[in-house]
Amino acid sequence: MDPFKGQGGIQMLLIAEQEAQHIVSNAKDEAEREATEYRSHIEEEYQKSISENTGSSGSNVKRLEEETNAKIKNLKKSTSKVSSEVVDMLLKYVTNIKT
Amino acid sequence: MNDADVSKQIQQMVRFIRQEAEEKANEISVSAEEEFNIEKLQLVEAEKKKIRQEYERKERQVEIRKKIEYSMQLNASRIKVLQAQDDVISSMKEAASKELLNVSHHHDDHVYRNLLKDLIVQCLLRLKEPSVLLRCRKDDLHLVENVLDSAAQEYAEKANVDPPEIIVDNQVYLPPGLTHQNSHDLYCSGGVVLASRDGKIVCENTLDARLDVVFRKKLPEIRKQLFGQIVA
Repeated sequence: MDPFKGQGGIQMLLIAEQEAQHIVSNAKDEAEREATEYRSHIEEEYQKSISENTGSSGSNVKRLEEETNAKIKNLKKSTSKVSSEVVDMLLKYVTNIKT
Repeated sequence: MNDADVSKQIQQMVRFIRQEAEEKANEISVSAEEEFNIEKLQLVEAEKKKIRQEYERKERQVEIRKKIEYSMQLNASRIKVLQAQDDVISSMKEAASKELLNVSHHHDDHVYRNLLKDLIVQCLLRLKEPSVLLRCRKDDLHLVENVLDSAAQEYAEKANVDPPEIIVDNQVYLPPGLTHQNSHDLYCSGGVVLASRDGKIVCENTLDARLDVVFRKKLPEIRKQLFGQIVA
């Protein structure tokens, strides 16, 4: 009878232990890979939102510019109606001498 | 117990040990798998949390930058409107300044002559001096000389004093009215400047000086009249 035949079980256990250690040590690599994937996905979303925001902020600037120009146009239009009154008022005060 | 029985029993024990070993190896494998999953999950979640926080911070910064930029643009827009308002107000003063030139052109109907007299009287009332020096434009000299006596008399009656001595400066005149030729030089649209004999007290009563005073004084009123109905 082979005296080493009974050692097959011990060998099996040793191999199982080694494989277990290998599996657990792989966890870090797997986690890193998943995290990297997640990061690239988030980065993609972030860049997408930035480009969308840039577009919307550009249109905001344009809208604000248009509003400002409209205000100024309206201002000039409405003041031109009373400008002669203002000039007349100034001249009246200049030439009206209180003695 | 014969050899066959012993051998059989040993075989049975070996099988039992092997089975135990297999079960144990299986347990180790399952346990390793569980540990792997737990470890991986913890690492992934921790890293994901860090990544999320990092990008949340980035997004907050972008949001803040956006708000700052918009605020600056809004500010620039308001300044632009205020600048436009200022330009309108300045144009009112310019228009009034140009209109002033027409005042001194009313020679025919004595409007300007009476105005000059009133300006002289007003200066005399302010100076309250027995002897004064008067400066006017060269173009207005004859008009001023025409009204000097009546102005002195009117002042004397109002102030209840003797008529003052008014010396017209024939050496130095006020600058002429604004024209295309002298648009960058000093100009005077009309009126007079009176001073005490020692020159310490001066009463500047030119139309331009009066316009400056009126303009400053009436600025809130002008603003209200021009922009009262407009929200900047």
